[in-house]
Amino acid sequence: MPEIGVEGLVRTFADIRALDDVTFNVDDGELFTLLGPSGCGKSTTLMSIAGFQTPNEGRIVVGGEPIFDAASRLDLAAERRNLGIVFQSYAVWPHMTVFDNLAFPLKVRKVNRKEIRTRVREVLELVDLGSLERRYPHQLSGGQQQRVALGRALVYSPSVLLLDEPFSNLDAKLRERARTWVKDLQHSLGLTTIFVTHDQDEALSMSDRVCVMNFGVVQQIGTPEEVYRKPANRFVAEFVGQVNLIAGTVAGYENSIAIVDVGESARALQVRVDLAPEPRSSVTVAVRPEALVVEAADSATHNGANTLSARVTSISFLGDHYQYELDASGLALTAQSSRMVGSEDVRVHIPPDACAVVE
Amino acid sequence: MASIAQSAISSRPRRQLLPAGALQAAVWVLVVVLVVGPFIPMLYASFRDRPLYEAGGVFTTKAYSQLFSDSEFWHAWLNTLQYATLSTAMAVAGGAGAAILVSRTNLPFRNAYGRLLLLPILLPPLGVVLGWIVVWGPGGYLTNLFSQRLHVGTLAIDTIPGMSLIEASRLLPVAYMTCEAALSRADSSLEDAARSAGAAPLKVLRKVTIPMLRPALLNSATLIFTLSVASLGIPLLLGTPRNIKFVSSYLYLQWTNAAAPDPATVSAGAVLLLLVATGLLLLRNRLLGAEARYVSIAGRAGRTAMLSLRTWRWPLALVIALYLVFSTLLPVLGLAVMSFVVVLTPLVAPWKLATWDNWHQLTTGEFHRAITNSLEISFVGAILATALVAIATLVAHRSRFPLRKALPFVMLYPRATPGLIIGIGFFWTYLLTWGIGSWLRGSIWGIMLAFVVRNLPFAYVVMYPTLARIGEELDRAGRAAGAGWWRTSRSIVLPLLRPAIFSAFILMFVEILCDYDPALFLVKPGNEVIGTTMLSQFIQGMVGPVAALAMVQVVVTLVVLAIGARLFKIGVAGGHDA
Repeated sequence: MPEIGVEGLVRTFADIRALDDVTFNVDDGELFTLLGPSGCGKSTTLMSIAGFQTPNEGRIVVGGEPIFDAASRLDLAAERRNLGIVFQSYAVWPHMTVFDNLAFPLKVRKVNRKEIRTRVREVLELVDLGSLERRYPHQLSGGQQQRVALGRALVYSPSVLLLDEPFSNLDAKLRERARTWVKDLQHSLGLTTIFVTHDQDEALSMSDRVCVMNFGVVQQIGTPEEVYRKPANRFVAEFVGQVNLIAGTVAGYENSIAIVDVGESARALQVRVDLAPEPRSSVTVAVRPEALVVEAADSATHNGANTLSARVTSISFLGDHYQYELDASGLALTAQSSRMVGSEDVRVHIPPDACAVVE
Repeated sequence: MASIAQSAISSRPRRQLLPAGALQAAVWVLVVVLVVGPFIPMLYASFRDRPLYEAGGVFTTKAYSQLFSDSEFWHAWLNTLQYATLSTAMAVAGGAGAAILVSRTNLPFRNAYGRLLLLPILLPPLGVVLGWIVVWGPGGYLTNLFSQRLHVGTLAIDTIPGMSLIEASRLLPVAYMTCEAALSRADSSLEDAARSAGAAPLKVLRKVTIPMLRPALLNSATLIFTLSVASLGIPLLLGTPRNIKFVSSYLYLQWTNAAAPDPATVSAGAVLLLLVATGLLLLRNRLLGAEARYVSIAGRAGRTAMLSLRTWRWPLALVIALYLVFSTLLPVLGLAVMSFVVVLTPLVAPWKLATWDNWHQLTTGEFHRAITNSLEISFVGAILATALVAIATLVAHRSRFPLRKALPFVMLYPRATPGLIIGIGFFWTYLLTWGIGSWLRGSIWGIMLAFVVRNLPFAYVVMYPTLARIGEELDRAGRAAGAGWWRTSRSIVLPLLRPAIFSAFILMFVEILCDYDPALFLVKPGNEVIGTTMLSQFIQGMVGPVAALAMVQVVVTLVVLAIGARLFKIGVAGGHDA
C-alpha cells in the first residue's frame, strides 16, 4: 500500500484562498483524518486528491508517483488515478442493482465476466451484503447503501481509499456501529485511507492521525491524543472537544513549569510547557473540563498550588457525568465530573499537566 | 481478508483512445455553429449592394439607410410596440391573476383550471389563429351571428387591440406557468407569518404574495414581449388585409411580395430585429439572476391556508370558464366544424352543408405532401435534437470543457430569436454552402434543421432541471471507478436522464410539427410542411381544407402529448417555462 504526499496545495476561488499551502504525508496503511468545520478546505483537499478539483499550486504524490503537479502541469484524470472513494451521499447508482454497482469498475477495466462475478461476490461478503446482490439501491437502508458504496470503492483494489463524511447521513446509533466496522475493515485490509469529517468524535475514535484545518490552513497534525491534550492553538483547542480558555500573563518559568498569572486577582497558575514562554507575554491556557477536579470546599483533598475556591452557578446532568458551571471569583470555568458534589462552595484543582498554552 | 486487497485487478484504467475533450469540443462547435452560424451570412447579406446569389457585390450600408428612410418601416415598429405592449399587459395580468386564483384561493375546480389554462400553449399556434378567424374574424361565424341575429357588435379582431387579445391568449400560459411555479416554490409560511402578525388575507396578498411574484412577473413579461415582437402568424393573417403592418410582416412581405424583391434590406431589418430580441434576452437573463434572491427554500409543509373568495367564488370561476370557452374551445370547435362543411355561415344550418371534400383533399397533392413531410421531419428532427441537446447539456453542466459556460446561453438563444430571422439566416447559409447547402435547400431536411435549431431551447429546459437533480457525486463515483467522461455519461448519467430525454423527444416532436415561420423562407414546391401549406392555402381562400389540415395538427399533437403523458408521466407544462 502506498503512502500519500500532499505538498503545498493552494486553491483560490475568486479572492478566497480555499486551500492555503496544505501539506501533509499519509503513511502506508494509515487512517488519516482531515477534520474541520464546513468550509475549512477539507473536502476541497480530498477532491483535489481524487481529481475533481484542480488546485492552483502544489503537488500530490501517491506511492511515489505524482498524480498532480501544478508546476509541470500534470493533472491525471480522475478515472486514471485508481483511487477508491465513498461520497457523503454514497452516490450508489440508482438504476443498477447492488451487483451491477460493484461490477461497473471491473467492467470498465475489461475484467472478464467470470472473474467479475467471483470478485464482486467476494467483496459483497466482505461488506456483509452477500444476500442482497439483486436489490436496487432504493430497496436498501442507508447503512446498506453505504456498504454498497464502500464495496464499490474496494472492488478494484484501489491504491488508497478516500472517505468523504461517509457517516453523516446515518442516524446516531448506526453511525457508531459503522465507525467501528469501517475502522476494522480498513485495518485488516491495511488500506491507506484519508477520511474527511467535521465530527470530532469520529475523528478521535477512528484515526491514526488527525489533521485539523481551518480557513484552508492546516492547524495541527498529530495523533488523536496529541490533538486533544496538546492543542497547537486556540482554534484546535476549541474545535476538538470542550475547553476552558484562561487568559493570563507569564510570570515565571522553571523546570518545564510556567507560572501564569490569571484572573483579576492575578492568581498564579502552574502550567507544564515544552518550551519556555516569553516572560511577561500574554497567553491563553487551555484546559479540558474533565481534567478539572471539583470537590466540596469542606472535604477538599487538593490544596495549595493550582487550587481555586469557586461557587457552583449551575449543574447539568448529562447521563454519564455532571457538568458544572463554576465561578472562581470572576473566572468562569466549566468542569465535568462523574460525581455529584453536594455543595455550592467548592474547590477546583487544575492539574498542571492537563494545561496547554495555546497562544 | 488482506489477500483481497492484493488481488491482481488493481491495474490502472487505460487512457481512452479518443479523448473525451474531442467529443465535447465537437458537440460544442456543432451547437454554436448551428445556432450562431446562420446569422453570419445574414449579417453579410445586409451589407452587400446586391443579393449574395449575384456575383460581384461590394460593401455598403445602403440597405440600412434605405430601411431607416422608409416611413413604413418606422410605422411597422410603432404598431409592433403597441401590439407587444398590449399583448404583454393582458397576458401577464391574466396569467398572474389566474396563478394566484388557482394556487392561493378556494376557487372551485381550481385543479382542473390549472391544467386547462395550459391548453393554448399545447395547441398548434397557427391552427388556433385560423380558428379565431373562422369564428371571430370579419365574416366569421359568431361575428355574423352576433351582428345579424342579435344585433350586438363583437370586438373586431383585425385591429391592433383585437390582434393583441389573440396573442395574449396564446401567451397567457407562459405567464401563468412562471407565476404558478414561483408561488409553489415560495415558502407559504411567509404568508402564514403575515397572517399571524394580524394582516387580513387581502392585505397579505397585496403586501406579501404579489411582491414575492415580482421577479416572475418581470421575467415572464420580458419573454412574452419578445415573443410578441417576433410573432408573424397573427400580423400576417389579420393585419395584412387591413394594411396594418408589423415589423415581422413588413419583412416577410418585402421578401415575398415586392415586385423587385430586396433581400439586402430584409436582411438589414432582420439584423435590427435580432438585436432587439437579443437585448431583451440579455435583460431577461439579468432578471432571472435577480430571481434567485427571492427564492425562499420551502419546507414542504402543509398546503397554504387558502384565501377565501367568499361571494366571488362562483363569479370568478365563471369568468375563467367563459375565457376558456371563448379563447380556446370555440376556435378549435369552429375549425372542427369548418372542416366538415362547404361554408360556415349562421344563415344555413351546418348539417345542410356537410361534406367530406375538405378531408378528401388532404389525401392528394400539396396537402398530402405537407402532412407526410411534417411527420417525417418531426420524427427525425426530434430524435436529432434530443440527442444533440442531451449531450450538449452534459457538456455544459457535467464536464470540465473550458468553454462549457457559454453553452446554456447558446442553447436558449433561439427562444428569443424570431422564427423569420432563423428562416432568413438559414436561407443565406444554404445558399453559401455549396453542395450540401443546395441539397438541404432542395429537400425537407433543410427546413428540419431550421426547426430543430429554433426549438432547441425546449429540449434544453426539459433536460436541465432533471440533470440538476441527479447528484454530481453519481458521476464522480463513475469517474473514480475508472470510467472516462463518455463512459460515465453513457452508463450512468444518460440512463438516469432517460425520463427527461423521452419528454424532450415528445415535446420536440410536437414543436417541430407545429412550427412554421422559419420555413416560410425555405419552402418551395415539394418540401412544404403543414404550417406553410396552411398559411399559403388560407391566404388563397382554401379555408375548408386548411381547417381539416389544422385539425390533423391538433389531433396529432394531442394524441402524442397524451401518449407522452401516459408513458413517461410528462407534466403538461413541458418546457414552456423557458
